[in-house]
Amino acid sequence: MSSRFRASLALMSVAALALGACDREEHHSRSKPIGETVPVGQSPDTIWPGGSQPSPLDPRAKLYDNNAPALAEGQQLYMQMNCVGCHFHGGGGMGPPLMDDEWRYGGRIDQIAASIAEGRPNGMPAWRNKLTDDQIWKLAAYVRSLSGQPSKDAVSSRSEGMSNTTPSTLTPREPAHSSDTAEQ
Amino acid sequence: MREFRAVLLPFPALLTGCDYQTYQSTFSDAAAEVHSFNVLFVIFLVICAAMYVLVIAFLLIAIVRRGRAGEANVVEDRRHHGENPLMRAGLMGWGAVVGAGLIGLAIASFFGDRSMAEAAANEKLSVTITGNQWWWDITYNAADPSKTLRTANELHLPVGVPVHIYLRSNDVIHSFWVPSLAGKQDLIPGRANDITLVPRKIGVFRGQCAEFCGVQHAHMGLIVDVDSYADFLKWWHHQLESAPVPTTPLARAGYDFVTTRQCGSCHAIGGTPANGTVGPDLTHLASRRSIAAGQLPMNEGNLYGWVADPQSIKPGSNMPTVGLEPDQLHAVVAYLETLK
Amino acid sequence: MLRVASAFTIAVLCAQLAALAACKRAPHQQLGSAEVYSAVPAGDHAVADATASPADDGNWIMPGKDYAATRFSGLTQVNPGNVSKLALSFTFSTATTHGYEAPPLVVNNTMYLITPFPNELYALDLTKAGAPTKWVFKPQPPAASQGVACCDTVNRGAVYDAGKIFFNTLDGQTIAVDANSGKQVWRTQLGDIQHGETITMAPLVAGGKVLVGDSGGEMGVRGWLAALDEGTGKLAWRAFNTGPDKDVLIGPRFKPFYKSDQGKDLGVKSWPPDAWKIGGGTVWGWVSYDPETKLIFYGVGNPGPWNPDQRPGDNKWTTGVFARDVNTGEAVWYYQTTPHDLFDHDDINEIILADIPWQGGRRPVIFRPARAGFFYVQDRRTGQVLSAAPFGYVNAYKGVDLKTGLMIPNHDKDPKVGRVVRDICPAAPGLKDWNPSAFSPITGLVYIPHNNLCMDFGAMEANYISGTPYVGADVKMYAGPGGNRGAFTAWDPIHQKKVWEIPEDLPVWSPALVTAGGVVFYGTMDGWFKAVDARTGKQLWRFKAGSGIIGQPISYRGPDGRQYIAFVAGVGGWAGAVVSAKLDTRDPTGALGFTNAVKDLPSKTTAGGMLYVFTLPR
Repeated sequence: MSSRFRASLALMSVAALALGACDREEHHSRSKPIGETVPVGQSPDTIWPGGSQPSPLDPRAKLYDNNAPALAEGQQLYMQMNCVGCHFHGGGGMGPPLMDDEWRYGGRIDQIAASIAEGRPNGMPAWRNKLTDDQIWKLAAYVRSLSGQPSKDAVSSRSEGMSNTTPSTLTPREPAHSSDTAEQ
Repeated sequence: MREFRAVLLPFPALLTGCDYQTYQSTFSDAAAEVHSFNVLFVIFLVICAAMYVLVIAFLLIAIVRRGRAGEANVVEDRRHHGENPLMRAGLMGWGAVVGAGLIGLAIASFFGDRSMAEAAANEKLSVTITGNQWWWDITYNAADPSKTLRTANELHLPVGVPVHIYLRSNDVIHSFWVPSLAGKQDLIPGRANDITLVPRKIGVFRGQCAEFCGVQHAHMGLIVDVDSYADFLKWWHHQLESAPVPTTPLARAGYDFVTTRQCGSCHAIGGTPANGTVGPDLTHLASRRSIAAGQLPMNEGNLYGWVADPQSIKPGSNMPTVGLEPDQLHAVVAYLETLK
Repeated sequence: MLRVASAFTIAVLCAQLAALAACKRAPHQQLGSAEVYSAVPAGDHAVADATASPADDGNWIMPGKDYAATRFSGLTQVNPGNVSKLALSFTFSTATTHGYEAPPLVVNNTMYLITPFPNELYALDLTKAGAPTKWVFKPQPPAASQGVACCDTVNRGAVYDAGKIFFNTLDGQTIAVDANSGKQVWRTQLGDIQHGETITMAPLVAGGKVLVGDSGGEMGVRGWLAALDEGTGKLAWRAFNTGPDKDVLIGPRFKPFYKSDQGKDLGVKSWPPDAWKIGGGTVWGWVSYDPETKLIFYGVGNPGPWNPDQRPGDNKWTTGVFARDVNTGEAVWYYQTTPHDLFDHDDINEIILADIPWQGGRRPVIFRPARAGFFYVQDRRTGQVLSAAPFGYVNAYKGVDLKTGLMIPNHDKDPKVGRVVRDICPAAPGLKDWNPSAFSPITGLVYIPHNNLCMDFGAMEANYISGTPYVGADVKMYAGPGGNRGAFTAWDPIHQKKVWEIPEDLPVWSPALVTAGGVVFYGTMDGWFKAVDARTGKQLWRFKAGSGIIGQPISYRGPDGRQYIAFVAGVGGWAGAVVSAKLDTRDPTGALGFTNAVKDLPSKTTAGGMLYVFTLPR
């Protein structure tokens, strides 16, 4: 066995070991802790009298944002819970489009979760008691992905079943406008 | 040590003798299809085994003869056994045996196919089974659409009646496999598959998704209950009824929760405002044998466990852990238990 | 006590108004003059029903113009020779940016406008220069009702009768307002937005009843048509379009012509268990009325969900036409255009009452340019189909069997769950949607504004959650053969053939108007208001409005005796939601697939709401 071969073997083993450090996200099948609630009062506003600051991003956001399983489950819920019936695949219809760069009530994941949970006055129903908090967070993660916000490798490349739409990975990246101030 | 191993060797073969009331067995003959399959299997086994034994025997004879006689290589000698009348007759006979065997197999296979096709043509009961991650959605079709019956995870069939099962999938590829009754058939999204079977024996059989379909693939079981025709009709008529109206205050509270909160977003209960199609139909949940696609036997304790925290029992399934308060849990389970 | 007294006063007032109504019908005719078309020409072509379509009095009191729904103005000042001289008289902004589908109404020198949500009712005084606002009535429907309106927050019009204006609000109310003072007379809540019920149709007042139906066929509602007492607003009867016979008001008088529509409780038996409770069958289009037989005629919307696999059976009484007694609501006959509808081909389009020559005599019939693409001529007394022919490109059906009355399906185009079936023509909005045709008894032609769209249809399992959409389809629409997305067709209903056709680039989403002067008016979604010759289809004049036109044009005689032409521009509706609701055109399935068909609309027009009124210079 040549020393060169030995060296490359060692290098490869180290590389293989290094792969073990890869840890993109964790898939949690239920929310932890169970009693969590979605944020209330994550204001979509951008004016704070007296110079106060927007509330910091909810710490649970990082459990769902850029999390591939959460996005995939959110996508499934988006279809099953009839979000698709109003917002379609992001283009909107009865409800406003979700794939553009305009967020009426804030484009931060916790603001989206609050919009889903509490509803909004122009016809968005409140889903708090119809979905679990974990489901609402997953939906929020997927809704945010419609405008291309999360990293591309977290987004599912195929839509569930139908071929009438282009895969989400081909969604153009949109700059987040409105009060999507806290870039994750 | 070696001897000990040798003693152990035949044991796996004995396992084939295991037969739990043909609950889930490929050697059952509980349906006409499986029966004709098994007959075919035996015919194929016997004919092929005979041919195999003959081939091996001739091969051995040839080796032995050549080794013993040390005869020169036939090909190199440019001599041909065909000139030997005995060899010629032998070869022709061999060809005839092979031909006859193949024809026999073809005929057996033809009749096997025909008997199954006949059952398909004489469809008396039409059922659509839709695969979901990870449960079976079962719809009994009817010429009168108002007699359409939707249930889940428990297939009831009348004995002796040809049933045509249409197989669909809502998400990924699943496979319908009730070994005691029929062969495997895949459920493919966007594709129309079907299978026909005629149950021959009354009993309860178990089926299983036979195509890997996700983390809970192993927990995607199906119970098939073959009844007498009269019992089947009784079951069918009962299942067509709406869910009973809850009478106790606790069940009433459970009804209110189920129809107005999370449950109704996914589940349907006949005769109530809950009309979700995402999850299994719960109209007669308590009359079924199992919870969560054959995973748990149906009883009060398991209902409590399943409703309280499905994600610890079947992690990854679409049934979320709602996080019910104790009084809500009592009420929901009390109501579900009335859904006989 | 005070309350009782005031209730009594209102009741007395109502009774007086009702009495007034009875004696007020006659004066309309006094306005008739030499320049008004009145003679019914005998001959070999169709004419409007005489009692349902009286001579023109210069007013425009209901969207259909008359009970026969002719949208025919008897005024003759404007003719093909001078139409090009039409000049703007005045304008008025409705302060809305949603689709404006309603016609202005003109009664007693006052013009009434009903806006899309928030459904405000304006009265403009035509006797004064510039038509200033007399009063405005604001019903204030809740904002949430916008969230359950499937295809933009439109309103299809108000109706005038006996001193009152009647209209519906998006949140499911019917309101009667005093036409002079603008004060509310009564209001009745009929629909429930919690279950997805809205009301977008224009009511019809006939036989002392206000007829109102619900919208929400995409929301899993149960469709109905209700009749309110004209004076009090009290519910007289409500006929559901699914469910047991007693709910559908089917009794001994019910005699459908075809076998497939006969039987007991078909509204239950032709559905899976309980599916009829959420099966759609709404009434959001038009109602016609025959004063002679006291029958009303209306079409029923699509069954829900769109995914047909979830509702095996014929799905009675959806996608068909009912004839009912206006007093009791009893069904008299019914004809199902598309049993077990596959493509959202609602049957709610206008029903024109006419008399046609038939085998030597004349026969009372209805004309129905239906969404499925066929022009039906049916006997008004029985529902028998006398003829049916496609007025554009249709491949989803093979024709209509006149023996059984059944539509012959093309099974190649059957939707399948988990698959996308391509090139289905006509698309979900049909060859022609809600926007009504006009019928001229002078030319005997029906002027049909319509679409030329095909679609890819991907069915999937729909989940029912009360108050949310119940559709189960991914749809993508595009132009049909020829590449033009719309057309305006003059149709000969007797010989069932096209006389002339104007291809339009965009779907034609505006209703039509035809005048006795021989001019046809319609608008396009990019904002052109067009006048064409009723006989040849030659374009005579056009005007570019500030927003796309989907509203009903009307013609009336002003206080100065001149003929006016009016319409409201305001793009929107299902076809124009891409502009009015600012949809994102990158998603082809948006707005139930309509986004894909009109991707270029945002570059051609903008949202708005503006009344335009024209007349000839002195």
